[in-house]
Amino acid sequence: MREIELRAAIREGLAQEMRRDETVCLVGEDIARYGGILGVTEGMLEEFGPERVVDMPISEAGFAGMAVGAALMGLRPVIEMQFTGLLTVAMDPLVNTGAKARYVHDGAMSVPMVVRSPHMMHGNAYMSQALEAWFAHIPGFKVVTPSTPADAKGLIVASIRDPDPVLFVEHEDLYATIGPVPEELFTAPFGEACVRREGVDVTVVAWLAAVPAADAAAGELAAQGISVEVIDPRTLVPFDSEAVLRSVRKTGRLVIVHEAVRRGGFGGEIAAMVAGSDVVSKLKAPIERVANPGVSVPHAKHLNRAVLPDKDDVIAAVKRTLGS
Amino acid sequence: MTRRQPLADEMSHRDALTADYLREMYRLMLLGRRFTERALELAAEQRLPVGMHPSAGQEAVGVGACFRLRPGDWVLPSLRTTEAFWTRGVTVLQMFNAIMGNAGSVNAGKESFHHSGYPDLGILAGSAIVGAQIPQAVGVAWAIKMKRIDNVAVCFFGDGAAGRGDFHEGLNLASLLKVPVVFVCENNLYFQTVPAAVGQPIEDIADRAASYAMPGQVVDGQDVLAVYDAVQTAVARARAGEGPTLLECKTYRFLGHYPSMLRDDRPPEEIAHWTKRDPISILGRHLEELGHQDGAAVEAVEAAIAKELDDSLRECEATPFADAKQAFTNVYGEPIEAMGL
Repeated sequence: MREIELRAAIREGLAQEMRRDETVCLVGEDIARYGGILGVTEGMLEEFGPERVVDMPISEAGFAGMAVGAALMGLRPVIEMQFTGLLTVAMDPLVNTGAKARYVHDGAMSVPMVVRSPHMMHGNAYMSQALEAWFAHIPGFKVVTPSTPADAKGLIVASIRDPDPVLFVEHEDLYATIGPVPEELFTAPFGEACVRREGVDVTVVAWLAAVPAADAAAGELAAQGISVEVIDPRTLVPFDSEAVLRSVRKTGRLVIVHEAVRRGGFGGEIAAMVAGSDVVSKLKAPIERVANPGVSVPHAKHLNRAVLPDKDDVIAAVKRTLGS
Repeated sequence: MTRRQPLADEMSHRDALTADYLREMYRLMLLGRRFTERALELAAEQRLPVGMHPSAGQEAVGVGACFRLRPGDWVLPSLRTTEAFWTRGVTVLQMFNAIMGNAGSVNAGKESFHHSGYPDLGILAGSAIVGAQIPQAVGVAWAIKMKRIDNVAVCFFGDGAAGRGDFHEGLNLASLLKVPVVFVCENNLYFQTVPAAVGQPIEDIADRAASYAMPGQVVDGQDVLAVYDAVQTAVARARAGEGPTLLECKTYRFLGHYPSMLRDDRPPEEIAHWTKRDPISILGRHLEELGHQDGAAVEAVEAAIAKELDDSLRECEATPFADAKQAFTNVYGEPIEAMGL
């Protein structure tokens, strides 16, 4: 199969779906003329024109609210929130209006919009945040976290077609990831985790950039005779609990890895789910979480590296569950 | 300094209103007043679970702005725009049911009556966040424009909302995208308890339209025909693809912000000044002068409204509450159990 970058896979999914469905529109800062500050929407203005690919002023709350209104009327807006920290500026329209519209209209209205939110974790305390747990906490929002090019394409298309608001999290570090991606238009399912690597000793659940870190750790541990199973949930809401339980039932050990802050992070929800299930009796070691320990993300490279989880942090956590 | 650009069109839409239309405007405003009075009494007697933010005094704005809007037009009400609901066709029974939150409520009791939407009547549910509807209305109008239909969005908000970022961002976007939206500011001179002069450094909110290169107009919000003329002119502009308009209707609420407020600090002489400009009396006198309505006719309208209130209340009180299972539906397109955690 043809191999392309994750960035191009998102672009291809957007473009193919826009050709199929003329209600899909792109809205955001620098997305039209410039092609997106990180290049995801390059060429879209040329193909789809300024009515459907709309450059916005610096007005995150304004255009998020506007997208909610447009989605209520049956358009399928995909908005780009340049960097994740900007979500904080648009929380009112997204959380109060967008996520609740179906409920307060008792199902008579819906908000089929997608919020593309690129994590840029090596920048500054403001933009470099991982806020997926905030949205997982909001009734009405779905949260999608692809880590491979094929998933990114299939899931962006599924997100656009979903009848409810979706936070589609991208990761700058993954944009250049190359992988096989079908050329035709397709969707990837929500709520179906993917086993990235099979193993029998320890289960590692990871998403976004934590997936390659977990996979690299698993590779190194394999050389030491430790067999790690890596599970990528791909979507946090809905979440494939069964896939995690199936794996932990087998391994008896669980490590959860994410770049978001540990306290209140989605890893805690997964740990609670496992602890509250019959699988708890199969656990041979306490559940480990590898995450930002609770600081703003620092700028300088060596400080930044100290805060965000990497391969070595995963290896250490896996070894703790093995008592080694 | 950029000067405010007024609405260019001559304002004569009222000339096309027949006597029946004028009497209907009167009835809608009177219904709003009597409903508010009854709902407040019932809340005080604890026959209704909540009071309401009384619209008494402001009836002309909702009625004048929504009168003769077309099917397919969308209204985004603010907290106190009760008359927009009547004018778009919401019934007294629907409103009582919504206040009660019973099974007959449009959303089965999921949301309070003043944040309820009636999509079949072109009314979107409002948010409790003041001004949130402004950017949303821009999106509604953007979708209308994309569909190449000649409908409009009419967005209500109070003077308090005009100080929020939503107002600035929404009007800026509306102008940039040149979408068919009419912004109707109901300026009742108070941000809840704070006088407008404390929260706003200019006299007229309509002046802010200059910043967004759209027409802005101050309207006598006690005169339903003045409101109707201004909104119809702005609506015609919008339908013709000429973009948004900001209208500031100066008005006054005759009662407190909410029945359970500790006190009303507004000067009694100010209240007395405004209650002399009762929008219902103003139209009533006009109808009398034109010979369209006499005292007997008004009594008949009063009686019909009283009967509608009585009948609807009886039916509302006989309507059960929705099954508690309803609390868990319509969060997503799928059941919440499908979310897996």
